[in-house]
Amino acid sequence: MMVKAVDYLEEDPVLTVVKQPRSANRAWQRFRRHRLAMFGVFMIVLLVLATAVGPHLIPFDDLFIDIRNRFAPPLSGAHVLGTDPLGRDLAARLLMAGRISLTVGFAAMVISTIIGTVIGVVAGFYGRIVGTILMRFVDAILCFPTIFLVLALAALIKPSVVTITLIIAATGWMEVARVVESQIRTLRERDFATAALMMGASDRYIMFRELIPNAIGPIVVAATLCIARAILMEAYVSFLGYGIQPPAASWGNMLNNAQQYLGSAPWLAIFPGLMITLAVTSFNFIGDGLRDALDARLDVS
Amino acid sequence: MSGCSDDNNTDSFLNPTRRQLLAFGLAGAAAAWMGPVLGWVPGAEAAGPPAKPTGQAIVGLSQEPTVFNPLMLHIEVDEAVYFNLFSGLWRVDPKGNFTPDLASEIPSLENGGISADGLTWRIKLRDGIKWHDGTPFTAEDVKFNIELINNPNFRAGRRAGHELVKDIKVVSPTELTWRMEKAYAPYQAILSWTFFVPKHILEKEADPNTSSFNNKPIGTGPFKWVERVPGDHITLAANTTYHGGGPYLERLVIKYIPDMTVLYTQFRTGDIDYIGLQGISPDHYDEAKGLAQRDVMPVPQPFIENIAFNLGLPVFQDRAVREALYYGMDKQSIIEAIYYGLPKESEAFLPAQSWAFNPDLPKHSYDPAKARKILDDAGWVVGSGGVREKNGVRLEFVNSTTAGNHVREQAQQLLQQNWMEIGAKMSISNLPAAVMWGEYWMMSKFETAMVGIGFMIGPDPDATDFFASRSIGAQGGAGQNTTQYASKDVDTLLQEGAATVDQDKRKTVYQKMQTVTRHDLPYLPIFQYAMVSGTKAGLAGFTPNVNVQENCWNANTWYWAN
Amino acid sequence: MARFIFGRVVQSLILLCLVSMIGFAVLHLAPGGPLAQFALVPGMSQADIARIAAQMGLDRPLPIQYWEWFTRLLLGDWGNSYRDSQPVLSVIGSRLGATLQLMVTATLIAIVLGVWIGVMGAIRRYSVFDYLGTIGAMIALSIPTFWFGLVMIYIFSVKLGWLPSGNRSTVGDGSFFDYAYHLIAPSIVLALVEVAVWSRYMRSSMLDVINQDFIRTARAKGLPERVVLFHHTMRNALLPMITLAGLELPVLLSGALVTETVFTWPGMGRLFLDSLGYRDYPVVMGILMFSAVLVLVGNLLADCFCAIADPRIRLD
Repeated sequence: MMVKAVDYLEEDPVLTVVKQPRSANRAWQRFRRHRLAMFGVFMIVLLVLATAVGPHLIPFDDLFIDIRNRFAPPLSGAHVLGTDPLGRDLAARLLMAGRISLTVGFAAMVISTIIGTVIGVVAGFYGRIVGTILMRFVDAILCFPTIFLVLALAALIKPSVVTITLIIAATGWMEVARVVESQIRTLRERDFATAALMMGASDRYIMFRELIPNAIGPIVVAATLCIARAILMEAYVSFLGYGIQPPAASWGNMLNNAQQYLGSAPWLAIFPGLMITLAVTSFNFIGDGLRDALDARLDVS
Repeated sequence: MSGCSDDNNTDSFLNPTRRQLLAFGLAGAAAAWMGPVLGWVPGAEAAGPPAKPTGQAIVGLSQEPTVFNPLMLHIEVDEAVYFNLFSGLWRVDPKGNFTPDLASEIPSLENGGISADGLTWRIKLRDGIKWHDGTPFTAEDVKFNIELINNPNFRAGRRAGHELVKDIKVVSPTELTWRMEKAYAPYQAILSWTFFVPKHILEKEADPNTSSFNNKPIGTGPFKWVERVPGDHITLAANTTYHGGGPYLERLVIKYIPDMTVLYTQFRTGDIDYIGLQGISPDHYDEAKGLAQRDVMPVPQPFIENIAFNLGLPVFQDRAVREALYYGMDKQSIIEAIYYGLPKESEAFLPAQSWAFNPDLPKHSYDPAKARKILDDAGWVVGSGGVREKNGVRLEFVNSTTAGNHVREQAQQLLQQNWMEIGAKMSISNLPAAVMWGEYWMMSKFETAMVGIGFMIGPDPDATDFFASRSIGAQGGAGQNTTQYASKDVDTLLQEGAATVDQDKRKTVYQKMQTVTRHDLPYLPIFQYAMVSGTKAGLAGFTPNVNVQENCWNANTWYWAN
Repeated sequence: MARFIFGRVVQSLILLCLVSMIGFAVLHLAPGGPLAQFALVPGMSQADIARIAAQMGLDRPLPIQYWEWFTRLLLGDWGNSYRDSQPVLSVIGSRLGATLQLMVTATLIAIVLGVWIGVMGAIRRYSVFDYLGTIGAMIALSIPTFWFGLVMIYIFSVKLGWLPSGNRSTVGDGSFFDYAYHLIAPSIVLALVEVAVWSRYMRSSMLDVINQDFIRTARAKGLPERVVLFHHTMRNALLPMITLAGLELPVLLSGALVTETVFTWPGMGRLFLDSLGYRDYPVVMGILMFSAVLVLVGNLLADCFCAIADPRIRLD
């Protein structure tokens, strides 16, 4: 269920036509005209700036416990967004949590995109036995419910920001691999790839210098949606009790810890819930915009 | 929300205003429709229990009972079913006294049931008791049960005590005797938690572990098995030929609701009539107290919340460290703020209700200055990052508990700040239950743990498994002494306590032992748990009992009073 | 075609073995175990734990345990649950109904709403409706399900008292009305994401078809727009949706883990989470194999369908 964000990206990668450098400019123009995508970019820039600079502007430490001042509602005193069950400033925690959540999302995306691309390229380029073995391996992993993989991996290693990132990345690269593999499979039959082969270029050169640059569009789209998925995933991992360890905050564990206060202190659940939704929506908007922008068919209409 | 049995204003149901209709919505309509089924009699004010079983009560639990052979390995919630489906030789009441159940009297030195050396036991059974299928219950059943527990192929839960029983002789259908290999005083308490299964059914089974009995259990208890919808609920119906009091309810439904927040919500909306294990989360206590038509009360439990030290680590071998950490703990804030004043401060490993409890132990105080002084005096000097060191050992450790216990995680974080102030650095690494309480705990692979433990064996204060030096699992021992605590004094006291039959003599022994453990502090006691329990107004008969594992232990005496 | 199917079936069987090995190894190598939950039961000791581990055969080497499990599976014996000692298949069977009920309802809502939103969005591309549809779908895909579910419960059950806060039915009431009433909240929560997915797929599939030559031809012939859209375009755009439905099959049955947990729905998803939490190895392995078979069958059906629908795709 939670992989849905990426599912619809797969709709038909083959249809996405290869970009030549000249059309990059046009794609960028199309992207800029995509209002939702620009909104997404704007929100992400804003979030990144806020989480980077914000904590220095707030007079409270995100870890300082003031037990007598617990559950202060928003706007009721010095704490703009109120305090949590231990009297910590919610705004400070929200921003610090943003650092962790966005970092986890971004890092997991980078790792899963790299793994997915390498496996996809190798499988797509060599095809036959190598391709079959690799893609069947991908199929085998996809046979496991994501939750199983996450929980099983989480049980194997000690939970920390780094391990959570690795776990999320380890369960997210298969989609990328599938997208890339099908791209490469069509690309390698094309003239420029055949030409490079004739000229005696090494396999590695063809794969990484010729094929990947030409498949970069779908990879970027997949990567964007990967971040969205990773941020959501972090929330689910926390919900299931394998998340970032206290006292560090992530949007996921803040939301998870706020569940029982939905009635008495709803702001504890509302703010992190909104932040997750905002960040994930923004990345989804960007991904959508990128796909439209890179889709040359739209030039025709 | 309107429930089924808590509303005696008939008119509002028969002639609802538009606003009420909207407010009650469809569930209200369903409740009104179900009224007669549940024995809700409009306007009738019954003073006592009904003449014949009437109505139903829904018990809500946050874990699922799944094991229905009470002798097999099981968890606490399973006992919610056992108390109602099965019977033992005797029960234990809230004061810790035994009351006869299948037995006609409690064996003692006075009535000759137990010999002076504690080795020979004679059990007399009540006459005329029948299993739910009509077969008479006899002494042969008792013999079969104790033998089954000791059957090497049978996945019995606890064997402590039972394994000492030898030469069981059936004298008559209502009398049997046996010999104990050695005197073991806690056995009476263990028997109060031992429920009996029918010999005539289980003896035919090739494999007692996977027998069909587990699917359709038959007992001698106040309720009979009706059905189980896995993952959802278990339905029991009144056993009209029950040998004890009641039952007054026609049906008892035990419902499993896997999330404490949802469990509470369902109590609030009236979907369940009694909220049992794990109760209402302390965060909801204030709100719950204000609910109309609900009786909400904190119920003491035998579990003590502790910080357990792994004494195998060099840093904790110094008693000064343990004592300083105790002084550095803001216990009051944990209890008053995080747990809303529900649990009671504790210095002992025994609950305050136990007959062996020692009320005269030194009182803890939160005194960071004193904590710092103790550490200074012991040679722990503040090093880099404000963390103390001594001989190259840093006062730095990991604390673990079950992941996902939000309230406990809050206490952990407060302790983290408390202890940093005295120069001790604690980091948190919580694990899923299946990992935390596996080898990590049993084989002392943790550094410190935050854990609620019932140290007693049944309602008996014998804590050999947790404190005796021969019980250290990590050193090949058989018990659960995971702190690796070893004390000659405690070993002697425990041995003496278990072998003595006389309760007054035992009391002195265990009180002395509590003084020793309070001084040595292998565990830092924080508080004795109180679980917030709740019933729908009008459900009479609910009696909390610290000596059992689930408070629907006496559901046979419950009834709807309005 | 037959050769292709045979090849894929053989491949799938090999894949299943692989899945079972990986699953078994990961599950058993993870720290902790099925006996951990008993550690804090009063009176439990290391001696009891060790004795029971031996009785259950958990102390034997992993390959031997795997081999025993595997050979029994080949004979049709899926083992018994550690928790309630029932056969794994009947444990799974007892949860299947609840999951099917929830998933079918949610999927029906999702297909009807999703197809409608997708088609309208594609026809009136870049209209206000299309934008709202897109934004709505994006947000729906971004909301953490458990958060949405809890907010639903809080508003509609706790504050307003309109809907039950969970469960599949009222105890003692087996009427259709009662079941339907309990279905409302969880199926809406579950359908939210599905509507988003279906509407996105449908929209893009419609756009693919609209841009194709035969639609232009149809329009050029002077056919009424309504006929072109609903007869020609939509029919063709729905074809890939059937593939999607094939791929959704396993999702349907493995259940919506989170929704089932939030709404205390006694389905497969929760069974899986519980069993994993308790390390009930036979049940977890059973569900893994069960869902792996569904994934493989779903993929195979989807591929076959593609091949039948589009002769350009060669299967071998």
